[in-house]
Amino acid sequence: MDDKVRNMTREERLNSLIAKVEKPTRYMGGELNMRVKSGDGLYRFALCFPDTYEIGMSHLGSRIIYNVLNKRDDTYCERCYAPWVDMEALLRESGEKLFSIETKRPLDEFDVIGFSLLYEMCYTNILTMLDLSGIPLLARERGEDCPLVCAGGPCVCNPEPIADIVDLFFFGDGEELVNDFMDCYARCKKNGASKREMLLEMSGIEGIYVPAFYRAEYENGQFSRLVKTEEKAPDTVTRRIVRDLDKAEFTGDLIVPYMNIVHDRIALELFRGCTRGCRFCQAGFIYRPIRERKMNTMIAYADEQLKCTGHDEVSLFSLSSGDYTEIHEMVPTVLERYTKDKVSVSFPSLRIDSFLKDDLEKMQGVRKTGLTFAPEAGTQRLRDVINKGVTEEDLLRTVRDAFEAGWQGVKLYFMIGLPTETDEDILGIAELARKVSREFYSMPKEKRGKGLRCTVSASTFVPKPFTPFQWEPQITVEEVLRRQALLRGALKGIRGVEFNCHFSETSRLEACYARGDRRLAAVMVAAYRRGARFDSWDEHFKKEAWDEAFIENGLTIEQFANRRIGLDEPLAWAHMDALVTMDYLKREYNKAYEGAVTGDCREKCNGCFGAKIAGYCDMHCPGSKFNKAEEQEGGDK
Amino acid sequence: MRIIASFTKQEPVKFVSHLDMQRLFQRAFRRAELPLAYSQGFNPHPLLSFATALSVGYTSDCEYFDITLSEPVPPDEFAERVNAVLPNGVRIIDAIDAGEFKASLTPLMRSAEYSAVLAFESPVTKAALESAISELLSGEIIVDKKTKGGIKPVDIRPQLIALRLTAYDDDRASFDIEGRLTAEGGLPLELLFRALYGKLGVCAVSFVNRKKIVMDWSQMK
Ligand code: SF4
Ligand code: SF4
Repeated sequence: MDDKVRNMTREERLNSLIAKVEKPTRYMGGELNMRVKSGDGLYRFALCFPDTYEIGMSHLGSRIIYNVLNKRDDTYCERCYAPWVDMEALLRESGEKLFSIETKRPLDEFDVIGFSLLYEMCYTNILTMLDLSGIPLLARERGEDCPLVCAGGPCVCNPEPIADIVDLFFFGDGEELVNDFMDCYARCKKNGASKREMLLEMSGIEGIYVPAFYRAEYENGQFSRLVKTEEKAPDTVTRRIVRDLDKAEFTGDLIVPYMNIVHDRIALELFRGCTRGCRFCQAGFIYRPIRERKMNTMIAYADEQLKCTGHDEVSLFSLSSGDYTEIHEMVPTVLERYTKDKVSVSFPSLRIDSFLKDDLEKMQGVRKTGLTFAPEAGTQRLRDVINKGVTEEDLLRTVRDAFEAGWQGVKLYFMIGLPTETDEDILGIAELARKVSREFYSMPKEKRGKGLRCTVSASTFVPKPFTPFQWEPQITVEEVLRRQALLRGALKGIRGVEFNCHFSETSRLEACYARGDRRLAAVMVAAYRRGARFDSWDEHFKKEAWDEAFIENGLTIEQFANRRIGLDEPLAWAHMDALVTMDYLKREYNKAYEGAVTGDCREKCNGCFGAKIAGYCDMHCPGSKFNKAEEQEGGDK
Repeated sequence: MRIIASFTKQEPVKFVSHLDMQRLFQRAFRRAELPLAYSQGFNPHPLLSFATALSVGYTSDCEYFDITLSEPVPPDEFAERVNAVLPNGVRIIDAIDAGEFKASLTPLMRSAEYSAVLAFESPVTKAALESAISELLSGEIIVDKKTKGGIKPVDIRPQLIALRLTAYDDDRASFDIEGRLTAEGGLPLELLFRALYGKLGVCAVSFVNRKKIVMDWSQMK
């Protein structure tokens, strides 16, 4: 493109656009520790996050991939985020293409574009980003000179709703996978392979899915099967896992944003995976098996990153941090190490037990981060159905400890619409909140804080692939609203308690896309053309755009979101092998209806990987740090 | 110990807001492992303050801040250590020991000098531009200014000390501008440009660099 249009250079033109938006630092780049590379012959990888800069920059996985790719001598990975509506309008008006943060290169001049898919409601932003780069939205309309469009992240569990948009999916952990991919890319480029040849080559890499090699068929308006159209493509795509997380590549020097991002701190992942098996929780199944980083590795990361960023907050997170093997050593160690330098340390998702009470008091001294609990359901019966191993006594004991330690803010998270839920379960939520309130106000005034701030949040249950509830329907919008109203009424007048609930239309669309099939890509494009953007932002959600898009395509949201799928029906994501077997999920489904709980698989393997356990899960293998039997044999230290 | 420092703010940091500049420096001081003094109270923060804010999008050759340290650090060493860890686009030019001077830098400000480039959106002859400028300078410059009581017409001519056209080519005009800048406020450049566009009937994209803030250092004694 002509670099100097009329009297301004391209750089000046982009600068003048950036100067006009509400938050210029979303597009500006040049942050400390941003990777800078120059030279010809580099493969250009645009790591795209289909949401705003402040959300994308808070995502640890993308930061790891950014580092992994930039460690390669042959690749330069740059970032790009979904432009906010103000920038989108300016780009359209000026005819400029969407550009990367690092070098302001237009996206269509990259070799590879890789999207992070963290939630279904960001899909239309993928379209915005492709569209603003002049890249055709549908994979089949993109020629040899278009960038390869890839996607990774948890949504790849069911990639079908965007299978027509994306050339290639990364299924599972990316640390090693993206390197295998780039190696293959480089090889194919050197051999002058065509796009199809390249994709075929890549489809042989464990964890890579190329949707163009499969065709979906439908019967009676429902998905019936996926047929391979390319003999050499694999029958199933196996989720990739990093066996030794402790040795896996991490973020390297962390980029330090200028603006206040959502998680403006050093985030360190204690471990990946979760052993608890709550039956609604996708993360609890698709990151198995559990793999930990060693405490000393974490401390070394924290030291390095504090030094290279100047951050004053470290967050040690995981899906369930209380389960970390070395947690009782870790909490006091890191608190002691950092708080003297005015660095605050937080442990989100830490289940506080009595061992941690003293540490809690110390944490309190540093910063009052909110205390959160997720009982998810209001009665023990329903908590057994969903396999949430939290009892009322646990909860009340921990809040009491916390109140005694001076906390006065508590957040309680629940879900509405869980399988088998009745009004009694809903009222149970209010009952639990009442007990928490009573716990607080029954304490002598001088022992507790001034006033309780207890927030009860109720999200709507969304059935997700690779959970035992993947066959379950979501309750209808009317029913969601009725149950929300019931709960709101029941919570009224409880001292110190506030109610918060999520808009249900977006949850419904989320349920639809989570379990959808390939036909939904056309719906998404139609909704995008009608203005759907940033669908996860309630203020941007355009219901009419989506309603019309579904009608235009002869489909309904209900047929995906509100339908009970039979246990023997074909699933649109059955070709994705998430390692946890469908048989296991069915077993768990049946146990849910019996109200039978399944234990934490740290104690005893529940066999979720079936025959694949040998190759993928060493939690109960000799030599594994999780192996209790061996620990005992090892004797006292 | 209190240090007064001058610094530049160039590309790309010119887009960083005033509030975010605070954080930028705080993090840099942490990286440089400087002994910072903190405010008392529930949420302690470093004692850092800027003489004035710079509009988002403007570059500057010379801004000022002051920072209190809990232990003495030689000003040269301070500058060196901070410069080693600052992102591209920000640099400490000079640092001095504030000594006995305890007050804010803001009341020391008198005026500021800018260079500006306007890239006109459609062709403008040099003659038209020159006559618009002399017309602008000849009397009151009434602009609509946002104030607490809503939008009000005000005359900004008294705030404007000098405006000179320094170059003109290809529908791009360069200016040197001098305006008042005090604790009470300063010459609103964007409004000045808008008044000029009004006279010309053509809009432009502006690029502004603050070259200097004139301070009355004698007040420091
Ligand atoms: S504890 Fe339950 S809800 Fe939390 S991550 Fe594990 S499985 Fe999911
Ligand atoms: S295979 Fe066994 S130990 Fe491994 S994650 Fe599954 S249930 Fe847990």
